[in-house]
Amino acid sequence: MPRKTFEHEIQKIKDDVLVLGSMVEQAILDSVEALKTRDIEAARRIYTGDQLVNAKRFEIENAIMIAIATQQPMAHDLRLLASMMEIISELERMGDYAKGIAKINILMGEQPLLKPLIDLPRMAEKDVDMLHRALTAFIHEDVETARTIPQEDDEVDALYNQIYRELMTFVIQDPKAIERANWLLWAAHNLERVADRVTNICERAIFVATGELKEIDVSDDELIAP
Amino acid sequence: MFNKRKPSQVPHDAEKDAFQPHLHSRHRAGRVWLLVFQVSTLIGIVALSALLYNVANAAFGYAAIENKVDPASLSINGIPLEQLHPLDLTYILQEHVSEGLFRKFAREKPMEEYSREEIYDLVMRWVVQPQVVETWTLFDSLAHRDEIMRQAAEKYPQARIFFRSWLTSQFLTTPQSSKPEFAGVRTAILGSLWTILITLLFAFPVGVGAAIYLEEYTIDTPLNRIIQTNINNLAGVPSIIYGILGLAIFVRLLEPLTSGALFGYVKDATTANGRTILSAGLTLGLLILPLIIINAQEAIRAVPGSLRQASLGLGATRWQTIWHHVLPSALPGILTGAILAVSRAVGETAPLVVVGASTFITFDPDGPFSKFTTLPIQIYQWTARPQAEFRNIAAAAILVLLALLLTLNASAVLLRNRFSRRL
Amino acid sequence: MSQAVISKNPYVFEVRDLNIFYDDFKAVTDVNLKIERNKITAIIGPSGCGKSTLLRAFNRMNELVPGTRVEGEVLFDSQNLYAPDVDPIEVRYRIGMVFQKPNPFPKSIYENVAWGARIHGYQGDMDELVERSLRSAALWDEVKDKLDQSGLSLSGGQQQRLCIARAIAVEPEVILMDEPASALDPIATLKIEELMQELKKDYTIAVVTHNMQQAARVSDYTAMMMLTGDSRAGTVIEYTDTKVIFTMPKDKRTEDYVTGRFG
Repeated sequence: MPRKTFEHEIQKIKDDVLVLGSMVEQAILDSVEALKTRDIEAARRIYTGDQLVNAKRFEIENAIMIAIATQQPMAHDLRLLASMMEIISELERMGDYAKGIAKINILMGEQPLLKPLIDLPRMAEKDVDMLHRALTAFIHEDVETARTIPQEDDEVDALYNQIYRELMTFVIQDPKAIERANWLLWAAHNLERVADRVTNICERAIFVATGELKEIDVSDDELIAP
Repeated sequence: MFNKRKPSQVPHDAEKDAFQPHLHSRHRAGRVWLLVFQVSTLIGIVALSALLYNVANAAFGYAAIENKVDPASLSINGIPLEQLHPLDLTYILQEHVSEGLFRKFAREKPMEEYSREEIYDLVMRWVVQPQVVETWTLFDSLAHRDEIMRQAAEKYPQARIFFRSWLTSQFLTTPQSSKPEFAGVRTAILGSLWTILITLLFAFPVGVGAAIYLEEYTIDTPLNRIIQTNINNLAGVPSIIYGILGLAIFVRLLEPLTSGALFGYVKDATTANGRTILSAGLTLGLLILPLIIINAQEAIRAVPGSLRQASLGLGATRWQTIWHHVLPSALPGILTGAILAVSRAVGETAPLVVVGASTFITFDPDGPFSKFTTLPIQIYQWTARPQAEFRNIAAAAILVLLALLLTLNASAVLLRNRFSRRL
Repeated sequence: MSQAVISKNPYVFEVRDLNIFYDDFKAVTDVNLKIERNKITAIIGPSGCGKSTLLRAFNRMNELVPGTRVEGEVLFDSQNLYAPDVDPIEVRYRIGMVFQKPNPFPKSIYENVAWGARIHGYQGDMDELVERSLRSAALWDEVKDKLDQSGLSLSGGQQQRLCIARAIAVEPEVILMDEPASALDPIATLKIEELMQELKKDYTIAVVTHNMQQAARVSDYTAMMMLTGDSRAGTVIEYTDTKVIFTMPKDKRTEDYVTGRFG
């Protein structure tokens, strides 16, 4: 006795979560690209485009509430819906980080970049890659993958550390560069946070599959800056 | 005509043709059956009306009565017979009847203790001796009144002609008599009532007890199924068979018991035998026992199982459950069934004839060891008489029997309603 | 089995290797479970899996059906209910039952409550007992002015609470409930569920229910029953904390059942 209506509803929500995910992925990549090229117009589009992400998140949240209210999900269904509720909130936060990077770009105005961006786009690519695989693992309830992705957070942390040290050298050389260094540090910080939130998505993937709800132990000990 | 909603997939024409509503012929078939049922009901009503007409036709109507002695000739000093003093009536009685008969009256109780009405009755009966010479049916009496008057005046110039109901209070309160003018059904009514009482006292507890056992205690085994089938079959056995059974067992085999000899209750040892009310009551009891069992079983079965579970679930014993819950709920049904069964027993004739109801009896039954007659027996006996007048009193007795049955049925309804309300 | 031996045993019932047969048909097989004191234990499972049969084994109501046979043990306060010297009448007196369809006696409300106590020879103040029982069943305020009216004059939900009052009037230790709310409307159902939470302070409750949400709402522990094996007899396939059953059951069949994908 499969529950066709309900399963159809769940599938629709899953699809929408993936759509939201790709919107956020695109926003992250675009915001860093815009920063790299100092394209303020593009930054403005990304900044306002975050509203679409938020709207999508509310749409999914509403669909989940309706499914819970009308279908009384239990066990796996309940875990899945509850987790998706959590994940869309994570995705929305990631969207906010992209929006933050766009805002930095706008605030920088006519000031040139302190240095050409190399590690920052690599960080963004790593983030997006992790996010994409985490969402895929979530949808497929691939516990193995979900357990390994958080380990890769170390790479992102390493890039962040590298950027931090590099910017510090610029500031030491020329203390007046501190503002421009700060802009970039904020952007790097945002990208570091994205990776942390990907870990939360992996936790949910494991929870849906196994019912086990616990913190994946990824220490931020290596971080040399907040 | 409604347009049928279009199905999502339009059926092929062949599928459409598969439905042929035939609404017209279906409605016609319905009307034909309705007519059949109405006719059946009508036949029943006609049959019942015919019965009632027949009885009423004989129970009421003109009667021509001739007196052997004209009451006017008995009047003393111009005072009519009806107003004479008891002493004068006693005198007239003494004058006109034989000495032996008069002594017989005096032996029953001293003449001065007779009331005026009693002496008047004796005078009417033994001196005036009214005699019904001809009767007419109710239909004739109403339709051809003048014709009857003319004819009667011609044939019986002496007779008084008047419209009479054969069903009178006197009819109900006087005992049997060989003269139809004076015959009554008092002994028969009392005999019937006594018999019913014995029947009920025997069949009700035994029947309800058996029903309780069969419904509440036994489980479904082949033996119990055989017992159940036999009870159902016994309900359909002709009543005469029960009469023969009663004759063999109660009248013959258990004579010491049914004649009362065992209890030292014998009035006249020479005539005492087992043909008593007790035998008749027990025989009728056997006759209705299967009916009572089946009815009681059905009433008990109709008590919802949830009620028993509720009681047993509280830790009540099976008997507490039966006594406090099952029986009170089943009682209206049991009582209704029992009274309907008794109604059947009241109307039974054949088994009582076999068991030995007396056809002519003038004293009231006074207990289970009395000789007896019952209403149906009395009716049967009267209708067998050649004189036309007996048919009139038989009709009156039938009315009494019908009234008795209606009373029983009405009490069944009342009892049921009363107990149902209590719940 | 005397009232004095109320042990400190945290388990009211301990079922060991229980098998129940109807004639040759095995209805329940190899059940082992313990029922904790002052908790609500729910028994869930698809139709015909032997839930009610198992429940009725706890107060020997099964044997009212001819041909029922029980193998194994049901320990109640360490005493086997099916030992030869145990009187089923006393078992049912100590372990009360509430049925699927409200079945008050066709008597007055007062009599409904008092009757059970009376047949068990209650010597105390009957009025007081009736009031206490009706209060415990959260019915007193609704019926206190019409105690002499028929129990059947009440609404379905009230009738069921009257049946609960009737059961607790004989002061049992356990109340078995066989789908107590399945014949009631949602509001009446919620009232019964609230009442069960109150009652578990004083009684141990075992409840059979078709309604999974109900089991999830009211019970502390849940036993999932299912037909298994070649004999297609019912058994408990998973018995654990209710929260676990409804969020992360171990058994795939439980998962399928609670998520509505059974069969």
